Amino acid sequence: MTDPARTLGEEVGGLDAAADRRAPLASVQDLRIQFRTKAGRVHAVDGVSFDIRDGEALGLVGETGCGKTVTARSFLRLVPSPPGIYAGGRVQFRPRKRCEVCGGAGCGACGGAGRVPTACPRCRGTGCSECNLSGEETVDLLRVPERRLREIRGNRIAMIFQDPGKALNPALPVKQQIAEVLHVHRSEELLRRAGIDSDAGVLMPLLRRMAEQRSRRAERVLLGLPPGRRHSRRLGAAVAEWVAESLAETRIANPRKVMNSFPHELSGGMKQRVMIAQALACDPDLLIADEPTTALDVTIQARILELIRELQDRHRSSVLYISHDLALVNQVSDRVAVMYAGRIVESGPSQAVFRDPRHPYTRGLLAAIPTATDERGRLMAIEGTVPELVDPQPACRFHARCPYAAPACRTIDPPLRAHRDDRPVACFLYESAEEVGADRSSMPTWAGRR
Amino acid sequence: MLDAARPRVGGHRVRAAAVRLRRFASVGGEVLRNPTTLAGVTIIVAMVGMALLAPVLTEPNVPDPYQMPRDWGALNEPPGTPDHLLGTTQHGGDVLYGIIWGSRTSLRLSLIVVSVTVAIGVIVGSLAGFLGGRVDEVLMRIVDVFLSIPELIFALAIAAVLGPSFGNIILALAAVFWVKYARIIRGQVIHVKQNDYVDAARVIGDSRLNIFVKDVLPNSITPVAVQATLDMGNVVLIGAALSFIGLAEAGLAEWGVLVSQGQAGISAGRWWASTFPGLMVFLWALAFNLVGDGLRDVLDPRTERR
Amino acid sequence: MKTVPARAARPIPVKNRNLVTVRNLRRYFPIREGALQRVVGHVRAVDGVSFDVRRGETVGVVGESGCGKTTLGRCINGLLPPTDGGVYFDLGDDEHARLDALTAMPSEARTREQAAELERLDRTHRVDRLRGEAWRSYRRNCQVVFQDAFSSLNPRQLVKDIVGRPLKVYREASGSELMERVVGLLESVGLGRQHLYRYPHQFSGGQRQRISIARALALDPDFIVLDEPTSALDVSVQAQILNLLNDLQRERGLTYLFISHDLGVVRHMSDRIVVMYVGEIVEAGTRDDVFNSPLHPYTEALLEASPELAHDTDRRAGALEGRVPDPARPPQGCRFHTRCPVVTPSCGFEVDDAVRMLEGRGAGLDHLRGVQRRSAFEADLSFDDEEFAGLMVRVLEGPETPAEMREAMIGLTRSGSTVAIRFRDIDRVRLEEIRPAHVTSCILHTGQGLDPGDRHMREKNGG
Ligand SMILES: Nc1ncnc2c1ncn2[C@@H]1O[C@H](COP(=O)(O)OP(=O)(O)OP(=O)(O)O)[C@@H](O)[C@H]1O
Ligand SMILES: Nc1ncnc2c1ncn2[C@@H]1O[C@H](COP(=O)(O)OP(=O)(O)O)[C@@H](O)[C@H]1O
Ligand code: SF4
Ligand code: SF4
Ligand SMILES: [Mg+2]
Ligand SMILES: [Mg+2]
Ligand SMILES: [Zn+2]
Ligand SMILES: [Zn+2]
Repeated sequence: MTDPARTLGEEVGGLDAAADRRAPLASVQDLRIQFRTKAGRVHAVDGVSFDIRDGEALGLVGETGCGKTVTARSFLRLVPSPPGIYAGGRVQFRPRKRCEVCGGAGCGACGGAGRVPTACPRCRGTGCSECNLSGEETVDLLRVPERRLREIRGNRIAMIFQDPGKALNPALPVKQQIAEVLHVHRSEELLRRAGIDSDAGVLMPLLRRMAEQRSRRAERVLLGLPPGRRHSRRLGAAVAEWVAESLAETRIANPRKVMNSFPHELSGGMKQRVMIAQALACDPDLLIADEPTTALDVTIQARILELIRELQDRHRSSVLYISHDLALVNQVSDRVAVMYAGRIVESGPSQAVFRDPRHPYTRGLLAAIPTATDERGRLMAIEGTVPELVDPQPACRFHARCPYAAPACRTIDPPLRAHRDDRPVACFLYESAEEVGADRSSMPTWAGRR
Repeated sequence: MLDAARPRVGGHRVRAAAVRLRRFASVGGEVLRNPTTLAGVTIIVAMVGMALLAPVLTEPNVPDPYQMPRDWGALNEPPGTPDHLLGTTQHGGDVLYGIIWGSRTSLRLSLIVVSVTVAIGVIVGSLAGFLGGRVDEVLMRIVDVFLSIPELIFALAIAAVLGPSFGNIILALAAVFWVKYARIIRGQVIHVKQNDYVDAARVIGDSRLNIFVKDVLPNSITPVAVQATLDMGNVVLIGAALSFIGLAEAGLAEWGVLVSQGQAGISAGRWWASTFPGLMVFLWALAFNLVGDGLRDVLDPRTERR
Repeated sequence: MKTVPARAARPIPVKNRNLVTVRNLRRYFPIREGALQRVVGHVRAVDGVSFDVRRGETVGVVGESGCGKTTLGRCINGLLPPTDGGVYFDLGDDEHARLDALTAMPSEARTREQAAELERLDRTHRVDRLRGEAWRSYRRNCQVVFQDAFSSLNPRQLVKDIVGRPLKVYREASGSELMERVVGLLESVGLGRQHLYRYPHQFSGGQRQRISIARALALDPDFIVLDEPTSALDVSVQAQILNLLNDLQRERGLTYLFISHDLGVVRHMSDRIVVMYVGEIVEAGTRDDVFNSPLHPYTEALLEASPELAHDTDRRAGALEGRVPDPARPPQGCRFHTRCPVVTPSCGFEVDDAVRMLEGRGAGLDHLRGVQRRSAFEADLSFDDEEFAGLMVRVLEGPETPAEMREAMIGLTRSGSTVAIRFRDIDRVRLEEIRPAHVTSCILHTGQGLDPGDRHMREKNGG
């Protein structure tokens, strides 16, 4: 089956397709992830589709347990399995490289993105079945061999986690943890930066292994002796230089000092900056940030958000920003997808969704934020909690908590599709009875509020 | 109307008990699902059964069934001899008898040592952890002194000073093992004490004793249960070692003593007198270790949550 | 059908208006080091805090992580004894006035009778001095809800035991009556009979928080300390809990101390706001005053950093540079001066600031050999050689050093490889009432020790 990725992306994501003719950086298509548990199969992600375009920040919003983290982790195939099962769908990713015409600044050749697609390795850019005739390299992250995935992880796609304290290794100094990604993915460039390609001669293979951090003890001893020592020192200096550079980018005070400290010596905000430095060290195409500020203070949160925005602008990378706070996502992302119980229920430009939410769930999320005008104790809370997703029946997942729920909502899955304008929403309030094929009286109406 | 459906006081008790029992049963079921743990449990049940049924399985020796019978007419018989299925020792003791009655000795040894040491360890450790400050300092210094001497050597020294007897082995082992429990429980208590529910109980105004009994102890005891299970096996192992080097009375129906006395004959090809009891010691320790590990996995709070 | 009658909205009494009175509260934690566990310093978690909580109102406490909010709450709850000062519970109006008069004067200046009077007040109302019946009555009337709904419920107790425990402790009920009271409490927080026989781990975060609230309500208290009760929850569940807390307050006439770092939530919940920074109050006032016309630059920065509020006011996330200072060595003068965007030379610049600044510039601090302090404001910095000492002096005099700091430096001399540095001696700032019932400690408003020229200078620099 070869459905052209381009049209599918537009149809499924349905988002502002004319703006960019190029296939999106990543497209998630009908992703399904389940967990085997005692109670049955938990459908944690149940048919999620969206695109992430070059240079954009996409926000993914929803309550705890609605499947945001699982979706994000599937990009790097990090869902624990067992008990997790990739039950269907694709996560297509099209790696980029820096535009050689403008050197990343953005020009006509790269459509202002600063990054250009890499050619499909099978057809060398002429178009074949593997790349859907696009000529661009396309990887299905759920099926690609582990080896290739490792090349992508931390290099083309990087991730920052909610709890920086847990994501950093407490036993290693910060420098080593950041250097690690460089050794794994950028050994060639490290050698070049250290100025070691010509004069090293016979030591070259050894140095290369050192840059890849694969030297054995004996090799390290050898490189510690006079002829090799000069080179290995330069290599070490290049690594330190690069690490300091990427730390400095996060505007952490005193990068050289931070570099040599251990995670427990740093505050939460600093640890999160280290995580960001590590994630951006290889200049990835896609940065996934899973609630990066939930564990932090408001003041530090503001700084980290600003930093992510700024670095995104500078690196021209795309960001998938996950949070349960719609107000916050509105600040950092261009587009937003609202997730509920394993499905996307609404998506669109952040400003539009924020100003004019369509889905009753999105409305509920926004109304729940206390504002200056809310009378004390009269917040619009969404009653109840996210339902258990064990072997779900066809129905709107939100029906038990929705003030408008009607019989149709309890028996038919509302499809995610665009109506008046190009903003898709999955709710029968926006569908006509004929389209759905249900009885008119069983459809929800705005007047039918409980 | 509603009142009729409402359970009475007794009803509440019964229901709460049922809920607790179900939880206990689910932990039990979880433990048994692991095949290695199941194997451990099976061995333990068999051995305990053997100990309980000892008088039925073999004729007790008179006057003291815990002494090996002497059959002077059958010295060093190999296994398979009629009446002596596993052979006899150089003193004419029936190896099978020794194994069966020895299981009683081992069970007694484990139970006494473990219960005494758990009691002492829990009291000392929880006093230190719960009260903190000076009390903690003094008690933990004492514990440190005990810890600084290697287990086996310490037990050996005590047993040697007190003279060879089964009772003294119990004493020696108890003196060694309580320290570990004190350590474990103190760490747990200090950790558990920091939970907000302990503060919540203080804010309600509950007494310190109540807080300790209801909030702190039940949440600290799990690792002790695991360690106690492991030690049921380890005690027999070290006990056997002590008996082996001759710190128990000769002629006792005890696995370690049998191994010790039988080993002289190994060079002469009489392997059975020490091999079978040795195997029992090994199985016993192995079984409890398997169960202990299984318990640890199940009782690990992280897995308990799900 | 509830067996516990929900109290009709309780009128706020005109008598005994103040339920909780905090005066000069200090709580220090010793820092121990080495094998001997010698005390090498103190973390000043709460450092001289005074405010009142009136009956029936909600006082919100905001501030960054580590500024002492929880410690303050725990002192008020009687979970921590104060190092100095105290928390008084349920003072009569006259007693309150007397206490203020007595605590206002220095302890040496009190006459024997005055000291005895204070002692009597302490014995009858100061939380850490209460004994016997008075203590029990306070204990019943002051309850708490913690932030972490996971660790605030004993995982080995059933819900009926958790919620029924306070009633058992005070022998208020037993048997089926107890059970009915528990059901009534659960119903009042939106749970029910079906939840009696469950363990805490079988509940979601929001439901657990409801159980905590039910437990806090069991003894029908007057006052509840809410320590970030919703910060571990999603917005939607947070809204449910906030609504519940408000309904309960109205029905039962409760008084709350609401601690949070989320300004949107605090504004929604509180009548009055207390803003804390590094163990001190920097601003306090009614909610509308503090939110609509904040006085302290720290409050302004907090408001700007809050995305929810940015949405209301079209403010974009603002930047607050640097990190919270170490409460073991709080800055001199105004504690906010290390991060204040409108800092003046009179705000308390000290030797540490100069050292930190040099460090931030990476300016050869490797060559700093030692710092001999004469006071927080005066020290000798000795360097490896004269060259570096000279360089440091040039940095400290040059444009790399903020103008305010240069202005505050009243002495900078080099002799050999040693640099002597001296700043103005500045007192600790005090809270002052700027508008009715609206206090702040920022010297731009209090004028305390503010050099008239400094205000001018700030305007010149576009502050
Ligand atoms: N038991 C203790 N021993 C030593 N230091 C403590 C102790 N409790 C608190 N502190 C210190 O006191 C200061 C204030 O802590 P506190 O918990 O009151 O802050 P907070 O404002 O509640 O912060 P958060 O928003 O993170 O809850 C911190 O520096 C903290 O490290
Ligand atoms: N390892 C796991 N085992 C079983 N269920 C899981 C596991 N990880 C996640 N889930 C379930 O998947 C659903 C979505 O989880 P998650 O993606 O973490 O939510 P969130 O939106 O909060 O990030 C939840 O119902 C959760 O219980
Ligand atoms: S109206 Fe029906 S379809 Fe729409 S959100 Fe509510 S329950 Fe779902
Ligand atoms: S006194 Fe006012 S101006 Fe000075 S540092 Fe403090 S907050 Fe800033
Ligand atoms: Mg998550
Ligand atoms: Mg706190
Ligand atoms: Zn270009
Ligand atoms: Zn191709």
